[in-house]
Amino acid sequence: MAVTTSTPFYQPVDTVTLPPINAEVLTTCCDYCVVACGYKIYRWPAEGPHGGPAKEENALNRDYPLSPLAGNWLGPNQFTQAGHNGKLHNFAIIADADADVVNVRGGHSIRGGCISQKVYSPRLATRDRLKYPLVRVNDILMPVTWDFALDIMAEVSKHVIRHHGEQAWAMKYFSYQFYENTYALTKLAFRSINTPAVAHHDHPSIVDSAPGWTDIGYDIFGACYEDFSLADCIVCSGTDPYETKTVLWNEWILKGIAKNKTKVIMINPRRTMGAAYAEKHGGLHIDLNPGSDTVVHMAIQRIIIENGWQDQAFIDKWTNNFWETDSGFGQGTRNTPWQWRTTWGKFQVDGWEDWKEWLLSQEESKPEVAARIAGIDPQKLYQAAEMMAKPREDGERPRTTIGIEKGNYWSNNYLNTVSIGTLGIILGCGGRPGRAITRFGGHQRGGSNGGPYPNLKSPYKVGGRRRNRLDLDRWLQSGQVRFAYVVGTTWVQAMAGSSALEDAFRRYTRNNPHQIRSLDKEEIIATLKRRVDSGGTVVANQDIYMVDPIGAKYADIVLPAATWGESDFTRANGERRIRLYSAFYDPPGDAKPDWKIVSMFAKKMGFSGYDWNEPNDVFEESCRFSRGGRTDYNVLRTVAMRRGMKAHELLRSYGTTGLQCPLLLDGDTILETKRLHDVERTDVPDTGPEGVTVAGKNIFAFKSHAGKLNLLKSPWSVWSDFYDFMTPKGDELWVTNGRINEIWQSGFDDTERRAYIQQRWPMNFAEIHPDDAASRGIESGDMVAIQSARVPVLKDYNLFVKSDDMSFDGQMKRGHIDLVTGQFSAVAIVTPAIKKGVVFTNFLAKNAPANAIVPRVPDPLTLNYRFKIASGTVQRMGESPFKNDFSQMSFRRRDIV
Amino acid sequence: MSSLKTDAHEHAIKSEPKHDCLSRRSFLIGTGAAATGTVMLTGIPGLEGKAWAAHVARYPRILIAKLSALQVERPQRFRYPDDGKNTNSMLVKLGQEAGGGIGPDRDVIAFNTLCTHMGADLGRYYKASDTALGPCPFHQSVFDLTRHGIIISGHATESLPQVLLELDGDEIWAVGMVGLIYGRYDNLAA
Repeated sequence: MAVTTSTPFYQPVDTVTLPPINAEVLTTCCDYCVVACGYKIYRWPAEGPHGGPAKEENALNRDYPLSPLAGNWLGPNQFTQAGHNGKLHNFAIIADADADVVNVRGGHSIRGGCISQKVYSPRLATRDRLKYPLVRVNDILMPVTWDFALDIMAEVSKHVIRHHGEQAWAMKYFSYQFYENTYALTKLAFRSINTPAVAHHDHPSIVDSAPGWTDIGYDIFGACYEDFSLADCIVCSGTDPYETKTVLWNEWILKGIAKNKTKVIMINPRRTMGAAYAEKHGGLHIDLNPGSDTVVHMAIQRIIIENGWQDQAFIDKWTNNFWETDSGFGQGTRNTPWQWRTTWGKFQVDGWEDWKEWLLSQEESKPEVAARIAGIDPQKLYQAAEMMAKPREDGERPRTTIGIEKGNYWSNNYLNTVSIGTLGIILGCGGRPGRAITRFGGHQRGGSNGGPYPNLKSPYKVGGRRRNRLDLDRWLQSGQVRFAYVVGTTWVQAMAGSSALEDAFRRYTRNNPHQIRSLDKEEIIATLKRRVDSGGTVVANQDIYMVDPIGAKYADIVLPAATWGESDFTRANGERRIRLYSAFYDPPGDAKPDWKIVSMFAKKMGFSGYDWNEPNDVFEESCRFSRGGRTDYNVLRTVAMRRGMKAHELLRSYGTTGLQCPLLLDGDTILETKRLHDVERTDVPDTGPEGVTVAGKNIFAFKSHAGKLNLLKSPWSVWSDFYDFMTPKGDELWVTNGRINEIWQSGFDDTERRAYIQQRWPMNFAEIHPDDAASRGIESGDMVAIQSARVPVLKDYNLFVKSDDMSFDGQMKRGHIDLVTGQFSAVAIVTPAIKKGVVFTNFLAKNAPANAIVPRVPDPLTLNYRFKIASGTVQRMGESPFKNDFSQMSFRRRDIV
Repeated sequence: MSSLKTDAHEHAIKSEPKHDCLSRRSFLIGTGAAATGTVMLTGIPGLEGKAWAAHVARYPRILIAKLSALQVERPQRFRYPDDGKNTNSMLVKLGQEAGGGIGPDRDVIAFNTLCTHMGADLGRYYKASDTALGPCPFHQSVFDLTRHGIIISGHATESLPQVLLELDGDEIWAVGMVGLIYGRYDNLAA
């Protein structure tokens, strides 16, 4: 097969232009993963003068050539050109070599290291940014003015709300893309329109990602990065931070392994580089079957308890007994999330002894039983328990820190988070140096809440006196969505059972007879009103690039957004550190930041409270809505006002260091919070912080009414019916998916527009074990078809009357689940690094989405999708163009140590 | 021997279609030196032959080894394009065909060995079984020596800079580079 010359080869250069000594310097952070490394932007006119190689001749303050680890090396992928105030400028965007937090001395990932290539340039691969509003006329997306597009959007929206109800007006949006934007979007949807038909980019509903921890009383981002250097043992569940949290691994975990001999335990079906490195340095890789984590946790708990290795002093002091559980603040058990999950008696216990008795009575907690379910060597369970919990000869306990991510909570959401949370309790995790329990995180933390979710409007009534939040995918599929505002997300491929979802979109948009065939605004509005009145849907898609198919095929209105670097923004990272992300160049064409588009649209809707002129206006308004939260930054506004400055400017003065939230006020001093649940914290005065700040229990203790932790049961039977169905049958294999280092929260840049990464990953891939490959005649570089003819899709709303109605078997029995087909292609990489019987693929290749075979049956307790649990057949299609071509891709194993 | 060479060359052409091979002749036209022998350089994909020749023309031509003295999987260290900082390089006969490889088996390649992430010298981290360089002792980046030094996994924002080789009889000459050496702003600025 020939390689086409249109492939965007990366053409390495052997010189770069250095910034002159007088280059302007601005600060920002990486746009991608949750770690959010600090970066500096050097800006100077394209025509020069440029910098020289001597320290006194360049703004990087370095004598070239540099020594290893010098920081501030300007590689070709850190340089670009773009417009600033209408004039071409040079930009060097480099990890901040002066940083003393997060990426100390300028560490960076491959993604952040290439971030300057995300900047819009009419001459580079980013040239296809959306620049002007578009309206689909005769199936061509034609440029129009902002007023023209937004008038149509507003009139159709008003019509939908008036005639079909607020629930028919839906918003699907990114939960993370800066406080200013998420505040504006949620103010619009929740406070002004008041619709329950809202979901984030990664869930069918607005859900709690780690609900087991909520019920236990653990915050999901309690740790600070230093905890990972201080721990004696780190448990990484459902991810490898080497692959997905680069600088947390490079700067903090590696430091612990080197100085503290930290034993790292990776729980993951895939032997990643981090797992291989951990094993080499005294750690452990538990190569379990996808979705079997709960029994692994339970068996480790049993071994710990049978050996008496639990942190009994911590358990005695910090877990709720029966009375504390039942009677706290007069709310007690009747007003806690576990009751709202409608599982009478399935999870609650009456304190430690009751929980212990339950655990020891469970068949699945026996190591040999757990090992059989998980497909692992039972010895690993004993080794793990010893590393995590066995006291040293002097009686000192190992300091153990637990981190989880999507392999854990996007497989068996409730039970996995409950069982690893209770493992945390018996290990004494939470709030003390080196003894943390946290999510590692995915996207950065930029979600703000501009209004309350209207729970009562959700139609999803469940047992008792309860409602689930609206499941937007089911709502759309059943024809209830008449207007969909889709902001910055790949709605279709990013959701589970994506082929069935695509059918639904096509049915309600393109296949509806009422299509725009005029450039007369009134006629367009009338046509689209007829569309929605006839049961169809109008889609408006707001993004930075054209997204196929949601924008390219289904949207009637496409709105161009400005992004990172094009407006001042704020956001926090995985240790709750908030920073200002500076605007530093001109957005393309007439693109505008999302908060601005919301402001223009809301005014046309007749809503008040949207007179924002600059991003700081939105930020200051959002401050008070952060109160009491994990990233409470309200005092920024208070202190800024006292000093007569803008809150954005105050935050900018903290550069790439920023401030660790929640922020408390003591006089004029801002107190940061290094870690949550800080039971040893002493820096807050006895009188407490000032009235303007809210000092919640999670700062000084744990997040339950009594400030203590709830032990919970994790009965395997809650999950086993679904798990049995999803387990591979016949010649099927497990097909799980995840992120890899080179493409992570950055696919729209990396795999679509960054030549260096495109050359590395020109196509979707699938790692397959040599034994599974051999029996199918598959070699590295072959193209394979991965398919399933039994993808379960929950198609509608099922009334919950009896206790098994919500279980998988109950839903199947009552006819609420369709079995559909799904398929995607990939280039095979045959490697022993993946467990036998399991295939690992990229979580979201837009043109070959793994989610096509992922079950669209959310966890009935929590409405989280089980993205990591799929099975399918794998067949060889033939050779890929990359099999024998040395210029692209690599088929080498990724666990070389 | 000559038929072997032809087969290997045809294979290289087949496996890297549409990529111009830079002949010694066209390179020499660029530098104005005299032609000696019939030597082929496999072009780096995506670069037009002429641009490539101009690229190479900046660099010194340095004799680094004899082909007959090379043993499979036994790397040799050398410096290129000068003796200054960060020029540590490695020549190795991989024992399997590689992008940009020379010799009858097109398996002799050379790279600058400084990790393009943070500059650790990977010269002692050759993994013959994986035809890889790495993992880097700093942060575990690994590079594929058969595929122009592309990253296998890790953090480097560039492939390993490849040293372009030319075979003249039994003599292996370093004649140019693709990619910027860690720590430099210009490969030729020591």
